[in-house]
Amino acid sequence: MHVDWAALAIVAVVSIAASVIFTILLAGGIRLVSAAKIKSNEGGSGTATVSLGYLLIGIAALLVLFGIYLIVPQFH
Amino acid sequence: MGTDVAELFIVVTVIAVALIFDYTNGFHDSANAMAGPIATGAIRPRTAVILGAFLNLVGACLSTAVAKTISGGFFDDQLITASIILAGLVGAIVWNLMTWLFGLPSSSSHALFGGLIGAVIVGAGIASVHGWVIVSKVLLPAIVAPLVAGVAAAWATRLAYRITRRTPSVHTGTGFKYGQAFTSSMVALAHGTSDGQKTMGVITLVLIAANLQAAGTGPQMWVIMISALAIGLGTYSGGWRIMRAMGKGIVEIETPQGAASGAATSATILASAHLGFGLSTTHVSTGSILGSGVGRGAEVRWSVARRMVFAWLLTLPGAALVGGLAALLADQGVWGISALLVLLAGTCLGIYFLSRRNKITHANVTDSHQVLVLAAAAPTTVYPDDPRLEALPKPKKKKKKAKKPKLKSAA
Repeated sequence: MHVDWAALAIVAVVSIAASVIFTILLAGGIRLVSAAKIKSNEGGSGTATVSLGYLLIGIAALLVLFGIYLIVPQFH
Repeated sequence: MGTDVAELFIVVTVIAVALIFDYTNGFHDSANAMAGPIATGAIRPRTAVILGAFLNLVGACLSTAVAKTISGGFFDDQLITASIILAGLVGAIVWNLMTWLFGLPSSSSHALFGGLIGAVIVGAGIASVHGWVIVSKVLLPAIVAPLVAGVAAAWATRLAYRITRRTPSVHTGTGFKYGQAFTSSMVALAHGTSDGQKTMGVITLVLIAANLQAAGTGPQMWVIMISALAIGLGTYSGGWRIMRAMGKGIVEIETPQGAASGAATSATILASAHLGFGLSTTHVSTGSILGSGVGRGAEVRWSVARRMVFAWLLTLPGAALVGGLAALLADQGVWGISALLVLLAGTCLGIYFLSRRNKITHANVTDSHQVLVLAAAAPTTVYPDDPRLEALPKPKKKKKKAKKPKLKSAA
């Protein structure tokens, strides 16, 4: 019986890492953008926070684009 | 002359039955991508299936490299004949419809392999099937897929809640819903590229075997188009019974949890497709939803989850049984195949009418977590989690007979 345990381990590690990274980016971005909104409502300036928040969301969006790149065979 | 007509009859039959399988494949797997966003309200049910159908169709058109073999290594490719393919498809269709009736998300690929294996066993004996391949390609992945996706989803869910603990829910809703919509769309697209190929492969194989197409050539344009259309239509029809079972049956899905489980599903599917350890989309999606429930600390209906795992393990032997029986008929030439077609149509209609007794549509998909089959007349508070899956077909017959006259008299 032949089972490719190495491939299985890689799939497990990559799947878990990618899900966790994507979620951290998305949740972090949402948290920062929300914090900035609350800050500006209270009269403060949230420009730095909001940019960082959108940066995180942007990286998450890049991960989605990378996923689409992987799915479409014509791209590689 | 006579043999030519018979041969053409088989070719046309196989193409038609392959398209029916493609359609069941679409509606069976519609929930893999869209159950989550429908359950959380990220996408409205109708919009979700239209989006899913479109992406499935696009995905199916994108995949040009059709797998050369449809045996999957389970048996020798040389054993494949048109009648074995036909019997295998019938086994897969019947199994897909049965599991749909009971709201069980099972793998359409396993159903197809199972049907083919059953047909090969009938044609060439049990020794021709490589038993260890079944262990390494079916049993092991069925355990691994929910574990990997489940752990990924559990950690992602826990982190999503930890990070946004102090963020007001007005602000988290939209962001997570977008995240969920995008990850679900990726799953639908990936599904089209992988599963759309299966039917194209089958049809191309039959055309080549009948000398209607040159050996070694890819699928023809019309084959790509009708296969893509069949899987897209299937996805559009929604398979609402499975949609409810996955989106509401296992655990209640909240928005951040849905985004995390969507991320886990697409990450695991892409990783398994590109890093060489194939996992079933269905098993991965189910595992993600389950894991995300555990990660949130929600009340998971383990009885439902257990029933789904039983269904996964039964998919291959179940479809093999139907495929084997179908092969007995398909080997009898034109009359056998005609009888098989009549039986298939009868079974499809029967299951369809059974499903109508407790209809689930886009309008009521999120209203309840139950997929009732036999308890249609009973109050909805009765939850049928006690019947073991093995025992399910028996009560069906009993109740069907017992209740049919009632229905008629009521109507």
